[in-house]
Amino acid sequence: MEKLVYIALFAPFVGSLFAGLFFARSPKNIIVGVVNPALIFISWLASVALAFHVAEHGAIHVTMMDWISAGALHIPFGFVVDEVSVTMMVVVTTVSTVVHIYSNGYMDHDKSFNRFFSYLSAFVFSMMILVMSDNFAGLFIGWEGVGVCSWLLIGFWYHKKDVTPDINPAISPSYAANEAFIMNRIADLGMLVGIFLIYWNVGSLQYDVVFKELPHLEDGILVAIAIALFIGAMGKSAQFPLHTWLTDAMEGPTPVSALIHAATMVTAGVFLVIRANPLYSLDAVSDVSYFIAALGTFVAFFAASMALVNRDLKRIIAYSTLSQLGYMFAAAGLGAYWIALFHLAAHAFFKALLFLGAGNVMHAMDDELDIFKMGGLKKVMRGTYLYMGIASLALAGLPPLAGYFSKDAIIETAFNEGTYVLWFALVFTAGLTAFYSFRQVFLTFDGEERYKRFGFHPHEMYRYVLVAMSPLAILAIIAGWFQDSFHEFIIKLLPEYEMSHHTHHNAWWLGLLVLFFAVSGIIIAYKKYARKGDKAFKQDKKVESGFFYKLLMNQYYIPAFYVEFIVKPYTAISDKFWAIDKAVVDATVDFIAKVIYKTGDSSRVIQNGNLSSYLNWMGIGAVLLILASAIAVVMG
Amino acid sequence: MIGISHYLILSGLLFSIGFIGVLRRKNLLMLFFATEVMLNAVNIAFAAIGNYYGDLSGQMFAFFIIAVAASEVAVGLGLLIVLYKKYNTLDLDIISTMKG
Amino acid sequence: MEHILSILIFFPLLAGILGFIVDKESARAYGISVAAIEFLLSLWLWFSFDTNSADMQFTEFLPIIKEFGISYNVAVDGISLFIVIMSTMITLIGIISLNEEKIDNMKNMIVSLLFLEMTMVGVFVSLDAIIFYLFWELSLVPMLYIIGAWGGPTRVYAAVKFFLYTFAGSLIMLVGLLAIAYLYHLETSVWTFNLLDWYQLDLSVNLQFWLFLALFIGFAFKVPMFPFHTWLPHAHGQAPTIGSVILAAVLLKMGTYGFVRFSLPLFPDASVQMIPMVIVLSIIMIVYTAMVAFAQKDMKQVIAYSSVSHMGIIMIGVFAMNAEGLSGSIFQMLSHGMISGALFLLVGIIYERTGTKTMSKFGGLASIMPVYATIFGVMLMASVGLPLTIGFVGEFLVLLGFYEVSPIATVLAGTSIIIGSIYMLSLFKKSFFGEVTNESNRGLKDLNAREITALLPLVAIVVWLGIYPKPILKPIDNSVQKLLTDMEYKARTPEAKKSIISIKRAKEEK
Repeated sequence: MEKLVYIALFAPFVGSLFAGLFFARSPKNIIVGVVNPALIFISWLASVALAFHVAEHGAIHVTMMDWISAGALHIPFGFVVDEVSVTMMVVVTTVSTVVHIYSNGYMDHDKSFNRFFSYLSAFVFSMMILVMSDNFAGLFIGWEGVGVCSWLLIGFWYHKKDVTPDINPAISPSYAANEAFIMNRIADLGMLVGIFLIYWNVGSLQYDVVFKELPHLEDGILVAIAIALFIGAMGKSAQFPLHTWLTDAMEGPTPVSALIHAATMVTAGVFLVIRANPLYSLDAVSDVSYFIAALGTFVAFFAASMALVNRDLKRIIAYSTLSQLGYMFAAAGLGAYWIALFHLAAHAFFKALLFLGAGNVMHAMDDELDIFKMGGLKKVMRGTYLYMGIASLALAGLPPLAGYFSKDAIIETAFNEGTYVLWFALVFTAGLTAFYSFRQVFLTFDGEERYKRFGFHPHEMYRYVLVAMSPLAILAIIAGWFQDSFHEFIIKLLPEYEMSHHTHHNAWWLGLLVLFFAVSGIIIAYKKYARKGDKAFKQDKKVESGFFYKLLMNQYYIPAFYVEFIVKPYTAISDKFWAIDKAVVDATVDFIAKVIYKTGDSSRVIQNGNLSSYLNWMGIGAVLLILASAIAVVMG
Repeated sequence: MIGISHYLILSGLLFSIGFIGVLRRKNLLMLFFATEVMLNAVNIAFAAIGNYYGDLSGQMFAFFIIAVAASEVAVGLGLLIVLYKKYNTLDLDIISTMKG
Repeated sequence: MEHILSILIFFPLLAGILGFIVDKESARAYGISVAAIEFLLSLWLWFSFDTNSADMQFTEFLPIIKEFGISYNVAVDGISLFIVIMSTMITLIGIISLNEEKIDNMKNMIVSLLFLEMTMVGVFVSLDAIIFYLFWELSLVPMLYIIGAWGGPTRVYAAVKFFLYTFAGSLIMLVGLLAIAYLYHLETSVWTFNLLDWYQLDLSVNLQFWLFLALFIGFAFKVPMFPFHTWLPHAHGQAPTIGSVILAAVLLKMGTYGFVRFSLPLFPDASVQMIPMVIVLSIIMIVYTAMVAFAQKDMKQVIAYSSVSHMGIIMIGVFAMNAEGLSGSIFQMLSHGMISGALFLLVGIIYERTGTKTMSKFGGLASIMPVYATIFGVMLMASVGLPLTIGFVGEFLVLLGFYEVSPIATVLAGTSIIIGSIYMLSLFKKSFFGEVTNESNRGLKDLNAREITALLPLVAIVVWLGIYPKPILKPIDNSVQKLLTDMEYKARTPEAKKSIISIKRAKEEK
């Protein structure tokens, strides 16, 4: 079994190196396009095999070698394959495999085809380290590794130049990449502090040791650890206020958005909270957990509100990702870890599908992203329409698709915990979710064929790409049906979460209420955006000049706020510091040197070459010496 | 009675005269004389103190100094003559080539 | 090979003297072969080094002035061993990277570098304070010459500033060293400058304080600590590439090495007492210079200031007073040497091609020089401390160790991972990303064989030690633990005893 673990882990790495061989110079190499997906597929096979093994025989723990050891600190490269990590592995490799095959079609004409696969596989490898590691330091390796791969991939089209934010809110891919990396680093500092706290209080970073030791720690320390780790999670999972990078990250190629910024990397924060469930379910940190749930709920609503008005195909999906991450945190914060993980998996499937569908549309529309320039695409892109429809239904949470089961469980959890504010916010957000996702679907695929006016000639994606996407579509439909077996599988490791009697009693109307919100969202979207002919959608100038529209369109002015109050002052202070460095610190040194120099220069007069004045000086010197010795004698 | 202190006072006075001469005089020859005066002031002190302690080494030292001073005068005066031939003067304000 | 250390010190000297009679055309080849032999010798030193022992090894002892106890006394332990190897390696790589067309009077350059190599090795293996001081000061001379002769427009100002600044500091250090010898004499009526003897000296806390301060000035000027850092940007700005590489990679480490070798074991109480001051200065150094780095327009200055910032991390590691932090700090010295050396080489390469280091003149270089951009990217990531690169191990251990001393200070110092990535990524974006803004850059050639030969070993080491630091970390850790145990034993005040965590007690607590 150990071999399987290593195969699952290192197959993507081999793929990355392999593609790297053809790195910079050679143009598209089809071997890369075949070998890399194949290697990821192997990794998937290994992961599935491991999943069955874990289900039957329990967790596997392997230690590859020592990494860092200094003082009392010993960090090995150790990997643990248990219920949680194997779930993540299967999810990651499933989506990765599909995305790798998909990229063959999507990146078809790109001159950096090989480089793309090298990065993409490297990302999968980092993600596998992240989920499989058996200690916090290893987790951090993966954590930073996915960060770098995300940096590389967001900035994949680095050659694009910077534009002003009103043309492109992300300014440029390289700008967005840097923004993502730096914002994640802010959170990483929190995570590092968490790791330090754990080390100095427990003496080890191994999960099993740490979790065993946790109940013996002081409450204050536990809270500090919980907060610090969650700050780390906030960065990776783009929770408020570190959320702005995620939408800008849409500058990357669409397969990247599907894999990294929807299905896997951004869920790492949720994974961390689930992984550290023995910590977050302690009574001492219940406030932190509640905060996580509240923040998650807030982000769910907050992101959904911004998605309502956005016109950018990918950004809408990005906001929905943010919103769904909020749902996951809400569940995890409320203690329903297995439900969070379940939603994570389900979300990964349908959101990746949604993004890949969006990629098809972009491919067809020459990278146009404005959904108001599309419309009626369903005639030319039947397959994509079907996929995006399924994914959106799943996202909206309609039965019997995956999203229904997982999201409903989260909402039920909020009810069950008696946190009715959270519960209502989540229910309401479910309605918003349905509205904006179908607004997008209808604007893109239904109604008037506006694209003709802009001279686009859309065409369907390659057939093999559509076929490759089918596993995700199937999973988006059926994943929810396995809720019970998943539950049974996962609670061997994660704490059981049972709905109370009261909740069971009310489950039927709770479900109906959510459904009602979702369906009405879809209906409103249909009425408003799917009309044809004369009634075809017209932009409403009055609404668009309204306060709320502007507020939402500008993302609550948060990016502008960051630029104005963080970026600009930082630059100004840096410049000031530099000026100080030159004008004060360095000038002081030069001043001292100058004083010495000037003193020498002015005392040079003594050396006037006149023997008689030399003798005078000598005389003064002699007298002074005599005086000095006399004083010394007198003083004793 | 002329005691040791009289000699020492004389010696001190002579030394001061020489010292002031060294400081104030501009003519090299006069400087030379002034140094000779200082040397002889020291000689007097040596001889007197040697006599006072009944120790001959003081007087011996005076002889040494006289010998050294004599040779110094011989060499120094020679140099002065060369200098005078070269610059036509022995005024220190004019021959100041050692400017820093 | 009993005298391996003497060979390591004096072989470059001898080769340097012989270098004067070498033919001009073959000077570089001569330099490479000498440096390569020297490097191999230092590797041999490593292989015959007993990594399980924390003691001084390969000791050579030869009295020079018996009356004053001055002797030629050299040895290595885990702390100095790898710095020596790094010095010889960086010298070799530096000489390989020299471009015959750009450097006139190559022979003098090679000779200076070989002299410099002697002094560098000498500093790190000396166990006699006078010999140490000798090499310490001698290292200024070749560097002065390298900056002054091959530097930029204001090279003379920069060279003189570099020389006088550090020289002033080391004079105060010398006074401190003499004072220690005198105090030793007072106590035992034996004159000695042997560091190992000095370790036995028990000084009052007050004396420790003043002596610490004297040595502190000498070392801090060299590190360079805020606010004594301003010679560095000038020196780097004017120095030729090779000068910057060696200056950043090795010469700066002399300062931090001095703290480890002298200040900590000689003055354990004062060291603990001075932690707050060091923290404040180091944190200013880390944050402030990193922000100054962000404001720079010149690529080389960014890296120069980033060096100062990283040295701040090393400094707090030295004063973490536990094995994690101190080992990490010594590891960070090595990693900073590799990374900053490589980064200066990289900047030198683009400077040779375009004649400018101003970032606004570049833009879109990644499209033109992909290999160059890739290597730069790897080094950049190592510089910002990405896990599985060499930069992470040291930085992580330092911050981890320092957390025990002061959590708040660690968070402040830890901001270096944020602001470090800010200036580094913005440098990378300005120079490598975006459209090609300067048409004359279109014809730039990617790295040639000579440059790749110089850079690839560094890349390999950066990755290798990032993934498997154990072969180096373990000997370092051994010696560090011995050092801490000695310090703890020697410390007088209970506060100091409490602060210094040698490994033993850490284990007992568990």
